Amino acid sequence: MSLYQAIQEERAKYPAESNSAVLPALRLAQERYGWLTPDALREVADALELTPAYCKSVASFYDMFHLAPVGEHLVEVCTNVSCALYGAQQVLEAFESELGCRAGETSADGAVTLRTIECLGGCGWGTIVSVDHHYRTRVQPEDAAAIVEELRGGN
Amino acid sequence: MAATEIREVVLADATTSLAEYEASGGYAQLARARTLTPNEITDELLASELRGRGGAFFATGRKWSFVPTKDMIPKPHYLVINADESEPGSFKDNEIMSRVPHRFIEGCLITAHAVDSQHVYIYVRGEYTGPYEIVTAALDEIRDRPDIRGDVTIVVHRGAGAYICGEETALIESLEGKRGQPRSKPPFPAISGVYASPTVVNNVETMATVAPVLAMGAAEYAKLGVEHSRGTRVVSISGHVANGGNYEIEPGISLRDLIYAEHLGGGVPGGHTLKAVIPGGSSTVILKADEIDVGYDFDSLAALRTAMGSAGVICLDERVCMVQLGIRVSEFYEHESCGKCTPCREGTRWMTAILRKLEAGDATAGELDLLLDVCDRINGKCLCPLGETAAMAVASYVAKFRDEYVAHIAQGGCPFGDSSPLDHVLAPVAQGHLPGRLPEGKRLEVVHG
Amino acid sequence: MADQLVTVQIDERSIQVPKGTGMVETAAAAGIEIPVFCYEPRLGPPVGACRMCLVEVEGMPKLQAGCTLTAQDGMVVKTARTSEQAAEGQNSTLEFILINHPLDCPVCDKGGECPLQDLTFRYGPGNTRMSFPKRTMEKPIPISPLIALDRERCILCYRCTRFSESVAEDGQLVAINRGASSVIATFEDEPYKGHFSGNVTEICPVGALTSTQYRFEARPWEIQNVPTVCGHCPVGCNITATTREGKIKRVLSRNHPEVDEGWICDKGRYAFNHLVALDRITTPLRKAGPRRFEAVSWDEAIDEAERLLRGGGATTVTALSGGESVEEAYALAKIMRQGLGAHNAVLPETPSELGGSPLSAIRDAKTVVVLSDVPVVERAPIVDLWIKAARRAGATVSYEVPTGPIGALVTDETSKAAGIDAEHVYVLPFTPNGRGVADAWSAAGDEDPVDAMQRVLIISGDEAATDPGVRALAVEAETVIGIGMFEESFRGIADLVLPGTSYLERDGTTVNLEGRLQRQRRAVLAPVPDVLAWLSKLGERFDVQLSPHASVLFDEVSERCFGGVTYAELGEHAPLPLRSAETPAYPAVRADMPRNQGSALRLVAYKPLFSGAAVERTPELEFQQPGAVVELAPEDARARGIRNGATVTVSSNGTSVELQARVARDLSAGAVRIPRDHAGDLHPTVEVSP
Repeated sequence: MSLYQAIQEERAKYPAESNSAVLPALRLAQERYGWLTPDALREVADALELTPAYCKSVASFYDMFHLAPVGEHLVEVCTNVSCALYGAQQVLEAFESELGCRAGETSADGAVTLRTIECLGGCGWGTIVSVDHHYRTRVQPEDAAAIVEELRGGN
Repeated sequence: MAATEIREVVLADATTSLAEYEASGGYAQLARARTLTPNEITDELLASELRGRGGAFFATGRKWSFVPTKDMIPKPHYLVINADESEPGSFKDNEIMSRVPHRFIEGCLITAHAVDSQHVYIYVRGEYTGPYEIVTAALDEIRDRPDIRGDVTIVVHRGAGAYICGEETALIESLEGKRGQPRSKPPFPAISGVYASPTVVNNVETMATVAPVLAMGAAEYAKLGVEHSRGTRVVSISGHVANGGNYEIEPGISLRDLIYAEHLGGGVPGGHTLKAVIPGGSSTVILKADEIDVGYDFDSLAALRTAMGSAGVICLDERVCMVQLGIRVSEFYEHESCGKCTPCREGTRWMTAILRKLEAGDATAGELDLLLDVCDRINGKCLCPLGETAAMAVASYVAKFRDEYVAHIAQGGCPFGDSSPLDHVLAPVAQGHLPGRLPEGKRLEVVHG
Repeated sequence: MADQLVTVQIDERSIQVPKGTGMVETAAAAGIEIPVFCYEPRLGPPVGACRMCLVEVEGMPKLQAGCTLTAQDGMVVKTARTSEQAAEGQNSTLEFILINHPLDCPVCDKGGECPLQDLTFRYGPGNTRMSFPKRTMEKPIPISPLIALDRERCILCYRCTRFSESVAEDGQLVAINRGASSVIATFEDEPYKGHFSGNVTEICPVGALTSTQYRFEARPWEIQNVPTVCGHCPVGCNITATTREGKIKRVLSRNHPEVDEGWICDKGRYAFNHLVALDRITTPLRKAGPRRFEAVSWDEAIDEAERLLRGGGATTVTALSGGESVEEAYALAKIMRQGLGAHNAVLPETPSELGGSPLSAIRDAKTVVVLSDVPVVERAPIVDLWIKAARRAGATVSYEVPTGPIGALVTDETSKAAGIDAEHVYVLPFTPNGRGVADAWSAAGDEDPVDAMQRVLIISGDEAATDPGVRALAVEAETVIGIGMFEESFRGIADLVLPGTSYLERDGTTVNLEGRLQRQRRAVLAPVPDVLAWLSKLGERFDVQLSPHASVLFDEVSERCFGGVTYAELGEHAPLPLRSAETPAYPAVRADMPRNQGSALRLVAYKPLFSGAAVERTPELEFQQPGAVVELAPEDARARGIRNGATVTVSSNGTSVELQARVARDLSAGAVRIPRDHAGDLHPTVEVSP
């Protein structure tokens, strides 16, 4: 199904005059292109009969939308209070050394983007690491290597 | 003080399977509710004294009763479920949606009937892939069950990473495809919410409580808990405790028991001692270790000028630097400030800057007072609670651990060295950074007439 | 009970206002200021963002945003004047705003007329407690050739983005990012292209959005502001022309609540630099070769004009552009009709007798019908904003005649209004003052033209000189006399050209599409003599008495056409109606709309707003010209499987062009719209294919 058609299906879930499909449409475009390129935003705008500026305005409000290129996989380490109390910073640093890049960057091979993220809602089971949007709980620094290996191996 | 036992009301008979849920009496209350009038259900909820579990603690039945009839406002009614659980320390809705999705959905359908709505939107936070998949699968299961679905359409709407969307008017804006910035009230959602139509916004746990309330009967449910805090609550416990997790208890249980009881928090591990507790998510005023002999209920916590909030209890042991806690919490609110109103947008950023200076040992005593003054100037002036709770929370750290703040100034640095687990924790960076960069060669050319 | 009066106490004063009145207005009625930044009622419901308007309300524990409060009976409100808490609140807001504001007032164009500056003096802290480096950003950024954005100065009041989203509805100027990282931006640094973009510089309460034309050009204490009326289109927006040292420096809106509500289009705002264009005609010109003119003295020119006109006599034809003032047209008409007996004129259009309602009545209508092939915004831009305002207020806007009562009808042709019963009717003329020019022509005489060979043609105005119909006449004529501003308009056709002036350089009156008679005032002296001055001299040659003063000429016209109304009665905000109310004679049967045959579509190749002599001489407006876009009605697009934004081929017998498709909801099925310059050689009937 084309992105256009997929977006129209999302639109159909909401009242005709509403712009409620913007978030679902941006999510679909990001799933398709990896990140919200200017052309992807134009495509979403055309499909929704909105302006690209409007779509970018909305997208840039939300942390999950990428407005710059990202790696094939996304590793997000929660560093909010509870996870930090369990040692999230050490988990983050383990990923940094495993990937050879800093938080906010993508590994040199383009495989993994690493970043920190605010509370993921798993505070009792920290440190929470969201790997391609699926939670890993009680992650310890020594788990980083296996997770990275799993992602690279899955290429 | 109420009993310390774990209750099974919301989280009873956990199952994601429709067949199992029905086998244990699931959806029976929905069927019964549909034989009642909306007013009868609302009255039952009023009698149960159930209050909203999202944090504001507003009586659920009253909220429903504010929705005008379709004669008064001839527009569709919308029921919007706030599943945007993002308060640091809270993860109960995550567990409720994952373990009892059908009880949650049954509550939604009963509520839809009670407020005469045929349209339900479940706004689930974008990061919650697991709960989203479980709830979606549960909805798929009832797709071919018109006896359950009735004439109600349920759409799961996924957020995309913005704490502020947990605020009901920001959630509505986001659901309408906009930037999630809170609206000025009035009008209140009950009159003009999503699509400028009457709207009820309820929390996940509240919804998952509706069917049990009907099953038990309002009178039985209202026997649980203590005055003004009836029923059960699913409390999230995290941080420096042995057994982090969600526990359904009766309000009124002592905070000490919540943290130390073997079958609950299990105490502070590793031979450390409790230093402080954030009782209701990071937006709430902190309690010192000697303040935990208090009932975990609305009135008792209010007496200590704090709140149950969204029931996220965060325990901190003696290693934690309170200035670092201030930084981390302030950074969070700065990051999540929507940018609409001035005091929150500029004030949280300023708070963080002063806190960092304090932590670095570069601040003066005057700047500690300035921090409190900045908090004071944010407080009571914002459009929504985000900035205000940030200011109150940080001000409480200074008020209750002032010696530690003063020590940073006196010693010209952090007395904890790098031993505090919050030392140099990297906060997420803001979306987009600054898009002000111009392509090469593009500069303002001044046109002279 | 909308008009129920309630009593509110503000500070020590009691005031009665209708229930529900906004608190800012309520306080103002009591003579008390509630300071604001984000509050601007023209942008829609208040948003309560900036928190500048905090007030104390009895019975409410927290300070309240004054802008979102409405007057309720018995309410007791205290502003910063009497409430320490409110004063502290406003002081806090300003302190927060200023921690990242650069305070570069000495080099800021807004300095001296800046709400932030003014409110800081009145309510703000005297010094700063912020010891951190301020946020710095690249600046200024051109968000278009017309507008510069300084993000450091921006206080994020969101007025500009609200204008873009909910007044102009162009969705181009937006907020990007969240929280303290939020900035105002366009998409990917593309220019803010839209008919109304310049309004954001005017509503910006700080120096964040400024006009590039005005950049470093003047200071508030060295300028004069002249209240006048725009002469670019038939709306006649009320404007203020800012001048310094005899030059126009900028044009601002001057809110006429019935006409423009304080919004003006970019043509009206920015196209004034044609007054000082290098190719402006500054002396009379006489033909010196096939495509060449030579300068002649004024004495020679008047002699020559007299000689040529005597040659034409009663057969002389006058072609008017519709850009003249009533007085200019009248003076010219009087010479022709009373001096020469030449009653033959080419009027720019057949004026409609319909109308007489204020434009603001569109916004208040429950049903608005638009029957216009030409986009309304391209012909009368502000009318488009009123239609949008009506839709936002809940009106049904229809592009076909619906059943049931019609509140307002907007059409591009009088004939389309025939037989339609609408409370308010608006016909969009082609020219700014076509109505007034027609009135002036009829005021000067009522004889019928002689039927004879037309040897001499007078062309008044550049727009007439570039009109294909008039040019065809010029080819036929033996002699052509032109009156205009630019040589290029007359080259190759005129034998004598007399310098014309612009609406900003003259006194006079103009009649807009409502039929509203409005005064234009001279903002700057023209580099040439006033047209009325030399017409008065030319009149003498034919024993026609003409005052060189617009006011005297106006009285003559007014006596005959405008019921004797005087200049003074027009005032700075002219009222409606000033003409005697006549019952327009509607044709009894509504003319049939053109119908299409088969699948073919009717092509509307329209003249865009951003075109013409003035725009061509304003390089910074070039980017505003419409793109290569074809607009289709939703059903036509659907029937052809054409998606919004797709590239399509528009073809007619033997010729085709590639254009980008836009699905336009303001277009009725069966028609497609293409800007004139992109229509190529397409025939009136086209097909569009993916």
